[in-house]
Amino acid sequence: MSELKQTTLATDAGAEKDWAAAIAFYDNLKTKIPRPPKPQYAVTIAVSSRTLFNMDAEGKIYEEEGVEQYVAYQEQHETEPLKQGVAFPLVKALMTVNARLRHLYPDSEELFDIVLMTNNHAQVGVRLINSINHYGLTIERFCMTGGKSPIGYLKAYMTNLYLSKDGKKVTEAIEEGIAAATMFTAGNVENQLSDTQLRVAFDGDAVLFSDESEIIAKSKGLDSFFEHEKLFENKPLAQGPLKCFLEALGKLQRKFYAKNERMTCPIRTYLVTARSAASSGARVLKTLRSWGLEIDEALFLAGAPKGPLLQKIRPHIFFDDQMFHIEGAKELGTIAAHVPYGIGQKYDKGKLIEQPAKDTKH
Amino acid sequence: MFRMSWDPVQFITWKDMSVIASPNGDSRGPDKKEFDPQSLSTKPVLVSSQRRARKVEGGIFFPKPENAVTIALSSRVLFRTETEQKVFEQRGVEEYIQYQVEHENEPFTPGPAFSFVKALEEVNTRLRELYPESEELFDIVLVTYNHATVGVRLINTINHHNLFIERFCMTGGSSPIGYLKAWQTNLYLSADAEKVREALAEGIAAATMFMSDKLTEVSEKQLRVAFDGDAVLFSDESERIFKSHGLDGFFQHERDNEDILLDRGPLKDFLASLGKLQKKFYAKGHRLDCPIRTYLVTARSAASSGIRALKTLRAWGLETDEALFLAGAPKGPMLEKIRPHIYFDDQMFHVEGAAEMGTVAAHVPYGIAQKHQQQKSSNSGK
Repeated sequence: MSELKQTTLATDAGAEKDWAAAIAFYDNLKTKIPRPPKPQYAVTIAVSSRTLFNMDAEGKIYEEEGVEQYVAYQEQHETEPLKQGVAFPLVKALMTVNARLRHLYPDSEELFDIVLMTNNHAQVGVRLINSINHYGLTIERFCMTGGKSPIGYLKAYMTNLYLSKDGKKVTEAIEEGIAAATMFTAGNVENQLSDTQLRVAFDGDAVLFSDESEIIAKSKGLDSFFEHEKLFENKPLAQGPLKCFLEALGKLQRKFYAKNERMTCPIRTYLVTARSAASSGARVLKTLRSWGLEIDEALFLAGAPKGPLLQKIRPHIFFDDQMFHIEGAKELGTIAAHVPYGIGQKYDKGKLIEQPAKDTKH
Repeated sequence: MFRMSWDPVQFITWKDMSVIASPNGDSRGPDKKEFDPQSLSTKPVLVSSQRRARKVEGGIFFPKPENAVTIALSSRVLFRTETEQKVFEQRGVEEYIQYQVEHENEPFTPGPAFSFVKALEEVNTRLRELYPESEELFDIVLVTYNHATVGVRLINTINHHNLFIERFCMTGGSSPIGYLKAWQTNLYLSADAEKVREALAEGIAAATMFMSDKLTEVSEKQLRVAFDGDAVLFSDESERIFKSHGLDGFFQHERDNEDILLDRGPLKDFLASLGKLQKKFYAKGHRLDCPIRTYLVTARSAASSGIRALKTLRAWGLETDEALFLAGAPKGPMLEKIRPHIYFDDQMFHVEGAAEMGTVAAHVPYGIAQKHQQQKSSNSGK
């Protein structure tokens, strides 16, 4: 191919020749690391440095001694790789899926693309790069914003999912229409996660779907909620912040199904909702169907605690809009991410305006 | 102690009932559907889209799993899905899902565990009346291999039959056994013997249910559960002795060890949870009309080997309301008189005998009797 380019370019200007030579040189480089996909084709996941790596110790230095000391500390420890963070297992699993996708579709750009989107000072980048290489991760795209809001960059990268520890940035991202979630340091119990299958668990209302039903449940109670859902059973719910991410996962899943790998598909999705199946579940399933989305497993809990079931599922990440469930999940070792959207934000276990006993949220 | 009460007054058939009791005690609105088994099998009934939602405020309807007696069922024991099974086996999963979606508004007909579930709901209603704040109720969870798309038809069917099953696990093909523990399942019923064996190995009481064409009518007002003794409530140690040393050796052994308790069997804890709920009725003076009744139906001989069984139960603090020692007589006719909603036995021979006479029997694949079955024939179990 490179010869063809050279013969046609012999007639062009010198600049073109240089460019072609550069491409050819790059193509011929023996590199094991494949080229990152173009953003419009890829499923882009933006992670912050604090979710990818555990930077608690460094964070303390930043808060107690100031930015100068912090940067100095990072520079001193540049060659020490950082410890794995809460989003690390997820990133590893994404890379496994990428490997399988490349194996089945060598020329496709429909892959996961991981971007590091961080507030960190540029000098810290060296340590980050060293750590990334230490673990063998493929993260080629960085945005070190030095304090500026990452929203513009997220949009430029056509980010499908943004994970950060900073609730404010996540809220901003959701308001701009980007799927985002706040991650927390996992509890002491760590479940053994699968390294061959990416598992993503979603809550239903205010995560995949809008919070319209939650509003009714919280203002008028369960019975009105059930009546409402029965009445509007065939009217699809409005979409929630993470619907598009599920869609992106589904698109990649179908690529595996097309190659007859349904049984060994390395992506598995779960719906873990506090809804009641017979009284309010049909609307949820019909909505997913109307969107053309599938979910591999659906668990309707009717108010039972989510922790034990998530412990059995062992997802790489679990999205929920209510801190109550996030904490329950964390207690049993599940990696949980909070989606700060909807009316659930105004209620908290300790500050419920309604009766505290009613934790049976549809 | 061996009194048999076959009070015919307690038997109420579907045709006799004019009002289907709802959990809150109030009769349903004008759009209630009366369940008529004949009509469902002859023409395709469609679900009513104007069905009122069930009321759940003013009572505990969603108990916490650790407080409730959780019964996990598969979709195949709750409803009859033979046609759909055939589609799945012959034409594959995609066609199966397509078929289910097409027939979404046609409810399934009741399966072997259906009357059991109805009776559980009846008990729940009574418990809520007596103890409105308590979470010690029956909690029914549907745990199925099925894909989420099929969920709509399951939900439609559940609503059509006016059941209250709000907790689902649709695992889309992966094993549901892990979820059983998370739900703190007290009893798991499935049509698949493999899954039942897996559950038993995990320490969860489980039994395989089979569909039989003949079903005697069962009480609507009283939940009746019948248990075999050895290898169901008790361990199979005595069966081992019986099979290796014969009947006389067995009797001798039982007499010698009369005061040594038998080891527990897989369904002992389930009997214990039934007993716990029964005591709640007794505490409020409802011993005579308690809506839960338990039966021990064992092939043991009373005088020769019965004492050890009874002493073991006593030591565990458990009771059964009735105890039938058959000394080898066939269980079928007895069960036909008892009319239990479910009968647990470890030997397929008895399960089949019971089913022949119309009793809903569930097989507990535990203990030494399973090896003998496998040697005998290849068509017992799946």
